Amino acid sequence: MKNLEDLKKQIKDGLSELDVVIGWTDSFDPLHATPHFMRSEADVDKLKVDALCVHNLATYLPSLKGKKVGIVVKGCDSRSVVELLQENLISREDVTIFGFGCSGVVDQVKIRRAVGEAGMVESCEVSGTEVKLTVAGKEHKLPMADVIADKCQTCRYPNAVLSDQFVGEEIKPTASFEDGYKDLEEFEAKSTEEKFTFWLGEMDRCIRCYACRNACPMCVCRDHCVAQSRDPHWLSQEAHVRDKWMFQVIHAYHLTGRCTECGECQRACPVDIPILLFKKKFNKEIKEVFNYEAGLDPEATPPLQTFKIDEPTIKEKEW
Amino acid sequence: MPVLEGKELRIVGFLCNWCSYGGADTAGVGRFTQPTDLRIIKVPCSGRIDPLFIVKTLMSGADGVLVSGCHPNDCHYAEGNFYARRRLEMLKRFIPMLGIDPERFDYTWVSASEGQRWQEVVTKFTEQIHKLGPARKIEGPDAEATLKLMEESL
Amino acid sequence: MAKFITSDKVYAWLEELGQKHEVLAPRNEGDSIVFKPYDSKKGFNIEREATAPPKKACFPQSETLVEFSHIKDLENPEKVALDVKETIPTSSWVVFGSRPCDARGFTMFDRVYLNGKHVDVYYKARRENTFFITLACEKGETTCFCNWVGSGPSDPTGSDVLMVPVDGGYFLEAVSERGESILDSSLLEDGGSKQADADKFRAEADQSMGEARDLSKAPAKLLEAFDDMDFWEAQSAKCLSCGACTYLCPTCYCFNITDESDGVKGERIRSWDNCMSNTFTLEASGHNPRPTKAHRLKNRVGHKFSYYPDLHDGVISCCGCGRCIKSCPVGVDIREIVLNAIAYEAKEKADG
Repeated sequence: MKNLEDLKKQIKDGLSELDVVIGWTDSFDPLHATPHFMRSEADVDKLKVDALCVHNLATYLPSLKGKKVGIVVKGCDSRSVVELLQENLISREDVTIFGFGCSGVVDQVKIRRAVGEAGMVESCEVSGTEVKLTVAGKEHKLPMADVIADKCQTCRYPNAVLSDQFVGEEIKPTASFEDGYKDLEEFEAKSTEEKFTFWLGEMDRCIRCYACRNACPMCVCRDHCVAQSRDPHWLSQEAHVRDKWMFQVIHAYHLTGRCTECGECQRACPVDIPILLFKKKFNKEIKEVFNYEAGLDPEATPPLQTFKIDEPTIKEKEW
Repeated sequence: MPVLEGKELRIVGFLCNWCSYGGADTAGVGRFTQPTDLRIIKVPCSGRIDPLFIVKTLMSGADGVLVSGCHPNDCHYAEGNFYARRRLEMLKRFIPMLGIDPERFDYTWVSASEGQRWQEVVTKFTEQIHKLGPARKIEGPDAEATLKLMEESL
Repeated sequence: MAKFITSDKVYAWLEELGQKHEVLAPRNEGDSIVFKPYDSKKGFNIEREATAPPKKACFPQSETLVEFSHIKDLENPEKVALDVKETIPTSSWVVFGSRPCDARGFTMFDRVYLNGKHVDVYYKARRENTFFITLACEKGETTCFCNWVGSGPSDPTGSDVLMVPVDGGYFLEAVSERGESILDSSLLEDGGSKQADADKFRAEADQSMGEARDLSKAPAKLLEAFDDMDFWEAQSAKCLSCGACTYLCPTCYCFNITDESDGVKGERIRSWDNCMSNTFTLEASGHNPRPTKAHRLKNRVGHKFSYYPDLHDGVISCCGCGRCIKSCPVGVDIREIVLNAIAYEAKEKADG
């Protein structure tokens, strides 16, 4: 990031008024970053912002309610902050948002596909156009376009949509709404049978760790999730593909009109199940029916939390 | 009843207490002939229906799910069905994603006096489900069992 | 006993093993590598450590302990009899292509479920009838630390056959008595001439692991830091409290027991549970002795590196496979936490 020093200065200036500022720093290998909780200037010096900073830090905000928290956000992350504000799950006066214009983050799965042994990364340099890796002694130059996350390829909100401090220049988005749903359309073109088979196969390897849920900034029930409730008994504890699949529908439906498509659910999945597709489907329908997108306006009401007496865009079945 | 010539299928109906359950009762009292595939679950209001009830029902092996509440503007609780309409419409649009035919689920409004309309809805919906035939069931805890059966049936 | 198999014959060998046993092998599923019943059409992938270990071989994600049903007495309608059927597994299994850390993980289970005061009959039935054909690693990944916890990239502990890549195929060594029966196959050649190559491979792999950190102080130090919640809050700040680390861990053996019934019939099942979950320690009264993720992560690290070693001759209940680090959505690094604990200075001391 070009303006990293400016951002560090802004954070240091704000540190005395804040309990903690959340950003990113180096992680266990050169290919990863990790969330970073900054309380001192020395902590701020370790701040890192680049294409490896994939995590949506807004996930931590509801659990820090009541504290004065600073948060560094990409465009997509800022939408989650806005959605949390919309739903009154955090207070605006407690949160200081450090925004910037994001040019995209990497998809670790794509890197793994490209280099195979992603567990042996010795060095990694990220520039705007390229990821340069040394893996088990061998150098790989991967064009950014090949390893950038899908959501970034079609990003329409690269700049923080809400911020108290904005560092650097804004980035001009180029994608349209439709661009973001090509993968979904491709999936929808499959036959009913193919779709059913696809999900059975994918869900089978779910280990029910609930990383998808816990990484989701909008999954705010946390310790009170219906997935683990015995009464009501939504899901069996049996490792049944039906229950694994059902949970993903529960997660997706509970996000209808609330999901900001940060993709953390899918990124967090340790066995790489493409669960974001479910959320994208709901988002596309929400846009079509209610012309609404989550996490853009702190004053807006999510569409399933309101209604119109006449719904001109809902065509009911005639019997 | 032509629809009963084949085997009976399992259709689950979620009906609101105030209108549609009454409508079904009216149809019964009026001795209107109806298909017998439907099993009714009475709920206080269509707004009480968590759309995930419907998904859970379908994933548990139901061949069809029908939801019916009071007509918009007639909700016993004033606005329950307004919320329900939005939720159910979203679900209806989502269902194909799962590899489940969207025709297996419908929602509608039937008032307590509309015995005739109830008969019509339930007959048409049951015909619709029979046209689709029995739904694909998820067999056994591992996907393999179901996938193998599907392969064999092709 | 030492044998050799050429790479192209491995498939035939698996087919042959499949006639007597259920064979589990790692294969690609989406972008992950997971253990599945071997299917010749889908092959296997032993190129690198599988995303998920073969834990389910001896400790399934969920298993039925008993089947039960309520039977009405026709003579006396108020009387309901309960029919209970124990369901102890009777099959035999081969796990092919596990890594040394994966197989060694079960030795942590053994101390608890086989060699303790009580024997777990379900675990025993699987463990005693599961053979591990383990592939030695060529070198460690950035997340590997088996050599920190008393093991290494070709450690045969817990395995029955150790498989070492050599020119043209694999050198196969029986490392347990029952391993020899697995190597009784006409597809295998005598491996004597490949012994030197295999030894060289193993020595080089050991070399590649880098320096092992000394964890001998961990048990005492973790206890010392036990009550310092500031320390644990800092260690767990980024933790999401999900169960990915636990369910991917070859040594995590905790479970939950629930009755899942449908009408008059049902099953008592045992399923994986994890100490990162709030419900793990939630008591019926509503009280939870581990109410925050700091308490829970403290337990996970403490159990592996302090409480377990205290009970079992200093053996650390971690096999160093690194999956908890690699697959953590936020990069929580258990090595870092243990080292922080070892470097821990009590506040009073630091202040004074």
